[in-house]
Amino acid sequence: MLLPKFEFHEPGTIKEALELKKKWSSTARFLAGGTDLLVHLKKKIITTDHIISLQKIEALSQIRDNKDSVEIGACATMAKISGTPVIKEKFSALKSGVDNLGTHLIRNRATIGGNVTNASPAGDSLPALLIYKAVVLLESLDGKREIPIEEFFKGPGKTDMKVDEILTGFRLPTPPAHSGAHYIQLGKRKSSEINVVNVASFLEFDPKTKKILNTRIALGSVAATPIRALKAEALLKDKIAEEASFYKAGEIARTEDCKPIDDFRGSAAYRRAMVGVLTKRTLATAFELAGK
Amino acid sequence: MKEYDVISTRANRIDTPDKATGRAVFVDDISRPGMLYGALLQSPHAHAKIISIDTSAAEKLKGVKAVITSKDAGDIKYGVSPARYDETVFAIDKVRYVGDEIAAVAAESLDIALAAVELIKVEYEILPAVFTIEDAMKDDAPLLHEGSPKNLCAEVHQEFGNVEEGLKNSDIVITTKMKNKRQDGAFIEMQGCIAEFDNLGVLTLTSSTQVPHYVQRTVAMVLGMDVGKVRVIKPYVGAGFGIKASANPMELACCFLAKKTRKPVKMNYTRDQVFMLARARHQFSHTITTGAKKDGTLMAIKHECWLDGGAYTSFGIATVYYTGSLLGGPYKLDNMSYDGYRVYNNKPACGAQRGHGAVIARACFEQQLDMIAEKIGMDPLQLRIKNMMETGDTTCNDLNMSSFGMSECIEAVRKGSDWDKKKGHMPKGKGIGMACGFFVSGAGYPIYRSDTWHGTVIVKLTEDGGTALVYTASAEIGQGSDTAFAMIAAETLGIPLENIRLASGDTDMGVDLGAYSSRQTLMTGHATKDAAEHAKKQVLEVLAEQLKVPVESMDIRKGFIEFKGKAPDFSELRTRYIKEHRGWIDNPKSEKLTFREASRIAFLEKGSIVGTGKYKPHLLGGKFKGAAVGTSPAYGCSAQVAEVTVDMETGQVTIDKITDAHDCGKAINLTSVEGQMQGSVSMGIGETMHEEVIFDKQGRVLNHDLAEYKIVTSMDMPMVEAIVVESAEPNGPYGAKEVGEGAIMPTIPAILNAVYDAAGVRLYELPLTPERVYHAIQEYKEKNNIK
Repeated sequence: MLLPKFEFHEPGTIKEALELKKKWSSTARFLAGGTDLLVHLKKKIITTDHIISLQKIEALSQIRDNKDSVEIGACATMAKISGTPVIKEKFSALKSGVDNLGTHLIRNRATIGGNVTNASPAGDSLPALLIYKAVVLLESLDGKREIPIEEFFKGPGKTDMKVDEILTGFRLPTPPAHSGAHYIQLGKRKSSEINVVNVASFLEFDPKTKKILNTRIALGSVAATPIRALKAEALLKDKIAEEASFYKAGEIARTEDCKPIDDFRGSAAYRRAMVGVLTKRTLATAFELAGK
Repeated sequence: MKEYDVISTRANRIDTPDKATGRAVFVDDISRPGMLYGALLQSPHAHAKIISIDTSAAEKLKGVKAVITSKDAGDIKYGVSPARYDETVFAIDKVRYVGDEIAAVAAESLDIALAAVELIKVEYEILPAVFTIEDAMKDDAPLLHEGSPKNLCAEVHQEFGNVEEGLKNSDIVITTKMKNKRQDGAFIEMQGCIAEFDNLGVLTLTSSTQVPHYVQRTVAMVLGMDVGKVRVIKPYVGAGFGIKASANPMELACCFLAKKTRKPVKMNYTRDQVFMLARARHQFSHTITTGAKKDGTLMAIKHECWLDGGAYTSFGIATVYYTGSLLGGPYKLDNMSYDGYRVYNNKPACGAQRGHGAVIARACFEQQLDMIAEKIGMDPLQLRIKNMMETGDTTCNDLNMSSFGMSECIEAVRKGSDWDKKKGHMPKGKGIGMACGFFVSGAGYPIYRSDTWHGTVIVKLTEDGGTALVYTASAEIGQGSDTAFAMIAAETLGIPLENIRLASGDTDMGVDLGAYSSRQTLMTGHATKDAAEHAKKQVLEVLAEQLKVPVESMDIRKGFIEFKGKAPDFSELRTRYIKEHRGWIDNPKSEKLTFREASRIAFLEKGSIVGTGKYKPHLLGGKFKGAAVGTSPAYGCSAQVAEVTVDMETGQVTIDKITDAHDCGKAINLTSVEGQMQGSVSMGIGETMHEEVIFDKQGRVLNHDLAEYKIVTSMDMPMVEAIVVESAEPNGPYGAKEVGEGAIMPTIPAILNAVYDAAGVRLYELPLTPERVYHAIQEYKEKNNIK
């Protein structure tokens, strides 16, 4: 399979990139890690006349710890995110999300911005971004724009990003004390896999009463976009953090929150059942981590 | 026990430096001056009549040098087995699967060739298509091939002993079904080739193949050329697993393009074309009934199997026979019947893949052995020991086990896995299971009916006497055969391995049937040994004359001439050698006469010392129809223990460890033997756990890449303890026999038996996706009222 012909641009700043994008508009595509884009081009799933590489723009690959939040540049690779101390310490569900994407080789190239703009319902970093309440940072020549990640996904491969915009990164508020989060993905094999179901859960509890103060559950591969399990979350509010609550939340997520379909990777029925199991398990581990 | 100097060691492979440094040359690394690039037009329809083909627009495109169709390639039928030739290079009247070849283009660049392919206009009349055995067998089903009613490609009916009687006399009778999924070989190097004609009309085809010899004969036949005017060269090859064991349509199209343009033409398959060509493991649907006595004695097997064949026969006629013939062993069994059917349909053709025809039958049968053991309260390992064949035994279908270390294999895995402590004592969700198997060390007969030698080898000593050149047409495809033959040549000549230079994979070097049916170590190995002995004899004969000692009193070891008793005075020979060697600083000073001196003297007396060797098996097998399939001069056997963890909530199966013992006769290179065992286990795990070629309703492969067709990754591979069991095979060179395919036989059933041990569920369909196991567990829970 050969790459189709296109014009290649390699701007050094965000401004230059935006100017190029404005000029070529929908005939141009941004290239970050290329692990999705180049495959899609080779398979002729998409075509483009211009490729604007973001790889020379250093500002886009930075990860900054602001203490009350962390900012992750859109072009930070999965490997870099995984190795960053603040991510390891405070965003363990995101770490396990990026650690499970593709293979070592792919993680050295693939970027979090690429994973998000590819907007696959099965994307590995997406559920974690949802439960950590990530804010999407966008920029155009007209100025900057911020929106919550939940509003960013519009369907498989579709996002809220405008044609003249660039995704510069994400801001994740630092999780409070007595909180924990966990991510589990389920596929047919242990690496280089496209998820059948993936779930991330966040949980904050009151150590005195053991009551759950806050919880966020995100489900992947069971709807057109990654979704929050809002009914399961509502059920958990003020409940005692314990196995029985987690089981019930799993049941609600399974029966009321998810809308899976049958495809050749798995049936809707199995996906539903696994939403129940993985919701329960991610909550239990999140609770365990919160207590540490 | 005989002491060896070279074989039976862990010698470094001779191809390692090239492969480790990236200097190994594969087809796609090769370029020729003025080379053109070819591309194929393949059918987008599963079944359609071709009304017309218009190539005019493609021909007019700048840079296009040739566009060919069946008008150029003709209607000569080819395939694998001459009795079942059912393919033409390009479709003539109709296409039979998505991917059937219609035309080919040669152009100055691949871009242009691909653009030209899109300009070829084909008018089709779509025909109804069938994609399953059930649909293909219906009364009103469209027929793929004239003369094959009900789309039946082949059927086999055999009975040995009296199965009805055997079952009647059984205390336990178990019937189960087993079904796998169509596989892909998933070799790393996709097929590619370069065809070129010289000015004298000689065609050289450089190709990524397992079988230069069969490709040479097929090319010569289809192009109407003398075999001697066709040379097939195999450079380094990135594996084949059976799929590259016959000529493919791209190789033939490439030769026609080279003929028409008189320029070298290169062609490659993309990964999706590899899936379209297919030719890998069939989907098998088995029903087996096994009977046994209360004491565990096996009485009879009644076996029926349906093979989902695809659009052409390919290896299928051999497959459908192998499926039956390789089931009875490695156990003593007097009564066995087999009814096998291979059915055509509008999917790509299936063919041969590691463990040809036999692995799913074994997966079915070896589970039944565990069920029988459970019913009679016997350890399944003990049941196998009770029934296993021993050296010298012959199966009811006339396969003779001239060596058979089955009991040593079972004992090795029993010890290696700590079976006695673990079986029956694993915590819930964890399980242990075992299985056995056996396989041929080379097919007893060539694919075409012939008395041909299966392998010929030439050993030529260099004029300076230092080095032996080994020429073989055999195929190194990553398994380590070049190293094995260099080791055999060195051992036989009595010289160090580094004094061997070996070249292989070129039909100009002789006849060799190639790398399939696990044949090369035994067969090419024999021919290599024979050739080396011949060369050695010539050197010793010259020495005998010169030194006036009998030939029998001399031998060569580690590069020196050994004399029985007192060594004669060879100072005259040494002086002669040193005079020849004037100006050199490495004159021999050893107390012993060196091989280098002796072979230099032999050259001075006789000219080139060339040893020739050859091998073909002795007459093998019974007299019944199909008796040839399954015969072999020797059989390897193996036992494996799998340990697994089953997640009872998600259905995920984790393989924790495989303990694998294989009897390969004498191990020529221990490391290579272990490599084949590990590779077999990995392929077996892939088939058990993940692999499945999936089609859409139009007969197009949905998962035609290695992202969606899931072979095992390093993360999925468990710890594999490979235990090499050696036996003395009288029909093998230095006692060697196969390891390449036999080692895959027990993998699938060992895992299935372990999953049963862990979760209480029997699975009769592969692969064990979490979803399939989950549903089985749910069913089990409902049936047994478990929450």
